[in-house]
Amino acid sequence: MHVVVATDGSRQSLAAAKQLKAFADPAKITEISVVAVIRPLASVAFADDVSGSGFDGSFRDAAQSAVDAIAAVYDGWGPKVNKRIRSGSAANEIIKAARQYDAGLVVVAAGGRGLSDSVLVGSTAQRVQHYAPCPVLVVRPAPKKARKG
Amino acid sequence: MADTATAPAVDDEGGLKRSITGRLLFFYVLGDVLGSGIYVLIGSVAGEVGGAFWAAFAVGVTVAGFTGLAYAELATKYPQAAGASLYVNKAFGKKPLTFLTTVLYLSATFAAAGSLAAGFSQYVAEVWDAPPALLVMIAFIILLAVLNFIGITESVVANMLMTFVEVTGLLIVLVIGVIYVGQGKADFSVLADFSTDDNIIFAIVAGVALSFFAMTGFENVANVAEETVDPHKNFPIALIGGMATAGVIYVLVSMAAALTVPVDTLADSDAALLEVVKAGILPISVTVMTLVFAVIAMIAITNTTLVQVVTQSRILYGMAREDVVPGAFGKIHSSRRSPWVALLFSAVVVIGLVVTGDVLGRIGLDVDIVSRLASVTVALLLVVYAGVIVSCFKLRGSDESEKTFRAPSALLVLGLIGNVVLLGYVIATDPTSLIWCAGLVGLGGLLYVVEAVFGSRNPDSTDTGAVKGA
Repeated sequence: MHVVVATDGSRQSLAAAKQLKAFADPAKITEISVVAVIRPLASVAFADDVSGSGFDGSFRDAAQSAVDAIAAVYDGWGPKVNKRIRSGSAANEIIKAARQYDAGLVVVAAGGRGLSDSVLVGSTAQRVQHYAPCPVLVVRPAPKKARKG
Repeated sequence: MADTATAPAVDDEGGLKRSITGRLLFFYVLGDVLGSGIYVLIGSVAGEVGGAFWAAFAVGVTVAGFTGLAYAELATKYPQAAGASLYVNKAFGKKPLTFLTTVLYLSATFAAAGSLAAGFSQYVAEVWDAPPALLVMIAFIILLAVLNFIGITESVVANMLMTFVEVTGLLIVLVIGVIYVGQGKADFSVLADFSTDDNIIFAIVAGVALSFFAMTGFENVANVAEETVDPHKNFPIALIGGMATAGVIYVLVSMAAALTVPVDTLADSDAALLEVVKAGILPISVTVMTLVFAVIAMIAITNTTLVQVVTQSRILYGMAREDVVPGAFGKIHSSRRSPWVALLFSAVVVIGLVVTGDVLGRIGLDVDIVSRLASVTVALLLVVYAGVIVSCFKLRGSDESEKTFRAPSALLVLGLIGNVVLLGYVIATDPTSLIWCAGLVGLGGLLYVVEAVFGSRNPDSTDTGAVKGA
């Protein structure tokens, strides 16, 4: 089975990547594709909060660092790991990637618990759930007491 | 991790693909340039120059186009998002200079957004005069910050649609002009009419200085440089093509406006292009046309302002990550992935600008917020543009490959002279704009001081300037 692990550079996406590793059987997974999507027209095309490296003005570099950091979660776990950087609308590109790689599972983080997620529709995780060609693992953020600003 | 290598050459399709095609880039430039001035400023330019004000647009777009050539060359060499500050940093490698460029550029986007918000409120007033203009401006600025937070700006489709609407609005004006000429009513001598008795050159320079705001916006194209497919090929064509298209449209629209409506009426109107529509030449109810056209103008202004807001929050984010302004501006909303502090701050600054303009107007100083902030934008951007052209020359010979687009040097020199002459004119005739410029730049300096005094230094990035060297 090919698993697509999506990252938007958030710590929650790192948690989601670890969640997969926590329960899945590596022998059943043939390949993992870590996918980051750069949003060219957004204010911040890609924000990397997971690798700890600084921002040098290049959103491609930021996406690369984030993909590297997420891929490192699966070091020595077994499945072959691909790193992919795509460009466009986040949900669309994740769904397209799932189709293209004939994925058996997509792993995404659900985003925050904040007001904007309950009020505003159209978050990436929601759209992926609705339109992905395969099962989707949506990893919810940690309970509220553990959440830091 | 030997098994994780994904070299671009062996990657399957979609692995490292970029999403901004030449066509999208063209529409991005066109939409960005068109919204920023002709809907807002055409009346003032007409008043300044007279019936021949199309000449001011023609000269202005030419100077801007030559500057655009420098951007095209540099963006193909350094396809990253930072734009002017990146180029200046590459050319001179001096942190203070890079910081100054960044702050000048940031200040220009603040002033531009303020001017556009005021222009927006004037079109609103044409169809609904109940709310006070200041309230409309503030609501507009807040709305754009929210739209940006949600991520509307990311939609390529929305971007294309808004650009089409902008062009449609100007086509309506053109059609009206053509019909009017077809009816044999047009008096072409208007097009050679200068309202001033002074030197014609002087009248044109005055008009150009004012209309130059309509050409700005193209510099934000650097936002998408990194995600452009084949930048060495697409950048020069789309950037210059977009600006040239905008220029031709501007000149034709100015001519159509001058032919159909008396120049005095244009000059006195807050929403001058509406006067053309109101002339009642099309066989459609004037009320309907006025409403449709006002909405089109609002969409056009919104499109351009959205790009300014994107640029503001990007610059602040980049500076925060480089530790030159407080780190809060680098804060990203956990699920929306938007720089919410930077967006909030930008909205507050722009609201501050329009409120200041409004208050000054109320205490008796005659302040027209639209043209006041437009000339502040122009003054700031002219410095940035001149810096970019100089950087372009300084960087000749470095980081070049056979693919690099090389702008004709003679045109760059002309562009540089044009920028300096216009800057000189703006400063000489309108010294007040310097106070506004100083206020905005001072704000940038203040942020730097706050960070220097209270900020914790990130050891990774103390010596990188605004952008890391190659």
